[in-house]
Amino acid sequence: MRPIGKSIEEYGRGVIGGLIFSLPLLYTMEVWWAGFSAHPLHLVLYVLATFGLLLGYNYYAGIRHDANWLEVVIDSVEEMGLGLLISASALLLLGRISLDMTASEIAGKIVIEAMTVAIGVSVGTAQLGGTNGNSDTGEGPGGDAHFGGQLVIALCGAVLFAANVAPTEEIVMIASEISSWKLLLLALVSLVLGAVILFKIDFTCAQRLSPASGPAAIVIGSIITYAVALAASAMILWFFGRFDGQALVTCVAQTVVLGVAATLGASAGRLLLQSR
Amino acid sequence: MKKQKLQKNWFEWAVFAVGLALVAATLAYLAYDAVTITDAPPSVEVRAGEPLQREHNFIVPVTLVNHGDQTAEGVMIEVVLESGGQEKERAEFTVAFLPRRSTREGWAAFQTDPRTAERVRARVVGYEKP
Repeated sequence: MRPIGKSIEEYGRGVIGGLIFSLPLLYTMEVWWAGFSAHPLHLVLYVLATFGLLLGYNYYAGIRHDANWLEVVIDSVEEMGLGLLISASALLLLGRISLDMTASEIAGKIVIEAMTVAIGVSVGTAQLGGTNGNSDTGEGPGGDAHFGGQLVIALCGAVLFAANVAPTEEIVMIASEISSWKLLLLALVSLVLGAVILFKIDFTCAQRLSPASGPAAIVIGSIITYAVALAASAMILWFFGRFDGQALVTCVAQTVVLGVAATLGASAGRLLLQSR
Repeated sequence: MKKQKLQKNWFEWAVFAVGLALVAATLAYLAYDAVTITDAPPSVEVRAGEPLQREHNFIVPVTLVNHGDQTAEGVMIEVVLESGGQEKERAEFTVAFLPRRSTREGWAAFQTDPRTAERVRARVVGYEKP
């Protein structure tokens, strides 16, 4: 049994992490609008996808060194519950939800905000000043040299970073006004950013992502990182309805524009999310 | 994977219970909502209330109700004072969002006293899909 004090400390870290990572979203009106415009089935999918990400993150980079799957599931449920609570309290304090609104509007706003909060809670619990010499800290049970684990953590980082910008009008605006050449440059910048971060900050991470070593590892590592970033961007944009009624060109442009933020999340974010 | 006893204390179990209840309730509500929702486009009902006299003008409270299952954005409302079939004064305002099945309130402002008009006609002019 863990002492109560330690549990409170862990939840405290989670709450702070949730707030740090999702405050921009809680203060963004496009997200509130998406909350009541989104189809409920869409929201269910969003909750399930987030739960999947939480499971993956808690398994590969979570706080419990010796966690088994049952404990990972329990932790993920707790984090999602905390996310819902934090999101509801914040929206209530900010005057974004009130009792005279319909249940679907209140639920939509809370759920759409709570999912990023939940990922933030998960990351906060595991990362914010978490090393107090206890046996609970350490690498996840899956071992962090695992390729799949790296992908999951990269995806978490990409989602966490990209979700903060994705719902804003600015992405559509940039995407519809940008020239093809600049778009291509943006994609190259993302690739180079990913490579530089992998090479400069943590070479071993690049090696974990590819069987090769040396420069080839960097190239393969950054390409995989960018692929994860693009997939995360497209997923989030689709979720916020940014692809509805748009030409294919604009959809791709939006994905690339958002891909810069997602790449930062997938590369630098990944190092943050699992640094020990 | 090695078999282990869970290390949770009562406080953590309590948090887990609350978390599970919240997540289950949320999913259940969303699923119920997804099953019962229809494709009905916004259907906006406009109701004008009793006029009030303010220091500089007269205001008519207006209540908007969306009976549809889709959100209306940029809902434009027009309120007209009529006497003897003639338009005396017209006021307009816009509501940014009217979510499905929701109610919003606003005021239309006039220089003429609406109580002197025979009829206060309020209607929705248009709205877009968000």
